Amino acid sequence: MAANTLERRAARRGWVFASPALLVVGAVMIFPVIFSVVMSLSNVSVTGNGIGLSGITGANYSVLVHAPRFWHAVEFTVVYTACTVTVETVLGTMIALVLERLQAGRGWMMALMLLPWTLITVVSAELWGYIYNGVYGVLDAITQAFGVPGVNVLGTPVSAAVAMGVADIWKTTPFVAIMVLAGLVMLPDDVTEAARVDGAGAWTIFWRIRLPLLRPALAVAVMFRILQAFGLFDLPYVLTQGGPGTSTESLALLGYRVLFNDLDFGPGAAIAASTALIVLVVCLAFLKVFRAQVGEQKG
Amino acid sequence: MRFISSRLIPVAALATCLATVAGCSSSGSGTAAGAAQSPGGQPKGTITWYANQFGPTSTDVRKTLITAFEKADQGITVNLEQAPSDTDTFRSSLETQIAGGSSSFDVYNGDVTWPAQFGKAGLAQPLNSYLSSSFWSQFSPGLVSSLTYQGKVMAVPIFTDNAFLFYRKDLLAKAHLPVPTTWQQLQSEAATLQKDHLVKYGFAAQFDSYEGLTCDWTEFAADAGASSVNPAGTASTIDSPQAVQALDFMRGLITSGVAPSATTTFQEQQSESLFTSGQVAFLRNWTYAYADSNGSGSKVAGDVGITNLPTFAGQSGPGYSVTGGWNLYLNPHSKNTPAAVAFMKWMGGTQAQTIIAEQGGEIPTVASVLHDPAVQASNPAFPIAAKNKLNARPSFVAAYSKVSEAIYTNVNAALTGSVSTQSALSAASQQIGSALSNTGL
Repeated sequence: MAANTLERRAARRGWVFASPALLVVGAVMIFPVIFSVVMSLSNVSVTGNGIGLSGITGANYSVLVHAPRFWHAVEFTVVYTACTVTVETVLGTMIALVLERLQAGRGWMMALMLLPWTLITVVSAELWGYIYNGVYGVLDAITQAFGVPGVNVLGTPVSAAVAMGVADIWKTTPFVAIMVLAGLVMLPDDVTEAARVDGAGAWTIFWRIRLPLLRPALAVAVMFRILQAFGLFDLPYVLTQGGPGTSTESLALLGYRVLFNDLDFGPGAAIAASTALIVLVVCLAFLKVFRAQVGEQKG
Repeated sequence: MRFISSRLIPVAALATCLATVAGCSSSGSGTAAGAAQSPGGQPKGTITWYANQFGPTSTDVRKTLITAFEKADQGITVNLEQAPSDTDTFRSSLETQIAGGSSSFDVYNGDVTWPAQFGKAGLAQPLNSYLSSSFWSQFSPGLVSSLTYQGKVMAVPIFTDNAFLFYRKDLLAKAHLPVPTTWQQLQSEAATLQKDHLVKYGFAAQFDSYEGLTCDWTEFAADAGASSVNPAGTASTIDSPQAVQALDFMRGLITSGVAPSATTTFQEQQSESLFTSGQVAFLRNWTYAYADSNGSGSKVAGDVGITNLPTFAGQSGPGYSVTGGWNLYLNPHSKNTPAAVAFMKWMGGTQAQTIIAEQGGEIPTVASVLHDPAVQASNPAFPIAAKNKLNARPSFVAAYSKVSEAIYTNVNAALTGSVSTQSALSAASQQIGSALSNTGL
């Protein structure tokens, strides 16, 4: 009983100490989110004295539903996220397995690998832009050496999307690798030891024991990546401007253009809110499937 | 969601900061920025000019202008605040700040295509009541009307920009070819130079999916007799046989190998560096490219010629150039409007315009300065600019940014060959229509 009161008091004190931080989070994160949802449901007028909201309307969403450009951006963002996150997860896990075995120089390798991750995307996108440049790019020089002249990678819809995906994978695979490596290091040795004693081979140990145990670490890594990939903005903004045409226009880029180039704050907020909703649904679905699998394992 | 929240943070943060700052400045009144006018009626105090860099990269013309202004106008001090060099980034920074009520700057630079959009959204203060008609009448013809939205002049033009054809004098001399006056002639001459292995590519321009393509497109279209929006700004006119002809020709430049296929990813910088590295014979670009291509970093310095853009065969030359350039806008939240207006007025005067022309290398907006023989002699581009046939992008409509997006995304798609020219123009026409009627994205 006494312990319970103490705990409750400690908890209350904890809230008091956390409240300044929570206030900041509320002001800079929760308020804008709610504000943009409210904005997406209102008639918005932009004036020199701020943004005026009036009434409740579904008009902003109706504009989106009838715009092929919006649906194209949804499709592109979803497909792009699915492809890049899958490749990054597989590659990242493979790299983590190698790193785990490395005895000497693991720290150096990790530092080296994290270089792409630490580069600001705008900078790395510019660098990839030089590689992909259709006139003096490195890629062009390499293909020319093999007798295929004038490959304009960023000039066709599919190759531009693939080129962007490669730049993304190059940058974020190390992140997945580090997350998975952290999971691997935490794995209990005695389980694998016991399996080995029971005569299980390396493949069996990996697929039946280590990978299932790795699931929490993988889940966190994949969730982070899905959230980030859905906000894809800087790569297309720098590399392709959403082109050719609008073929590589992501939801974030479309939202930015509608909000800040066209000053259409209503539909722009609706794009932002829809994007958040889609990510939320995807993440919940992912977690549900993931939990079900964990449940099966336990059962 | 990530982007909107991060974009809105500045607005919210700004609002909070402003409330705090307002509180502070009222308690510590008597600062220079607060003082609007001296008893004599002469504006004084400190103002802030939010400006991106223009002119040559070696010297900062903005600082030269500020020094000259402070010397000429005793009492006003001008702070320079560096603005983003990317036009769209600059615009979004202005929108969030002004809509958030910021008075941290009084005067700001702005693009020629913004008056209608900013006028409609109230992001700039109309200037009619501050500056008399005699002030406006000194500018080159057509300039002030292009800055007018619903009868209100929204900005003071500080320099204009035109497009030119840059060519390699040495290559044309070697092949005994004249300077082309039609696009067809340019294409065949370029092909000849390539066939003779004198140069790798024939022609470069800005065909990336961005505002610059709207400029290039407007010129080709005007040469073919086409336009994108009707004069009343109520309907699309882009789906016409003349427009198809113009777009087919542009696509043909790529399919014939005269322009590299990567032209569809080129903005000004990429096309210019192809020219200054000596790999292309003809270049469409803005005024500054002349100084750049004859500068120390250029492999073709001394071999560069400049002339008016060509037109299509059968049309009377020269070809059209769109008007670019930058203006000064007045922040509606300025705390020192009289001083801000005094600065804007001075920037539209003879002294500032002469500095901009002679030291900045930009085309002055005041007619008497542009026609001054000393100014004309200072830059080979100026006499040619005086002969340019000008055509404005349809920026007189408030939904111009959407109209332009409809143009450059679809034209770019057609230039890469992923859709036919006809279907690209139909799609553009439909999107321009919905932009003008304010339906759809």
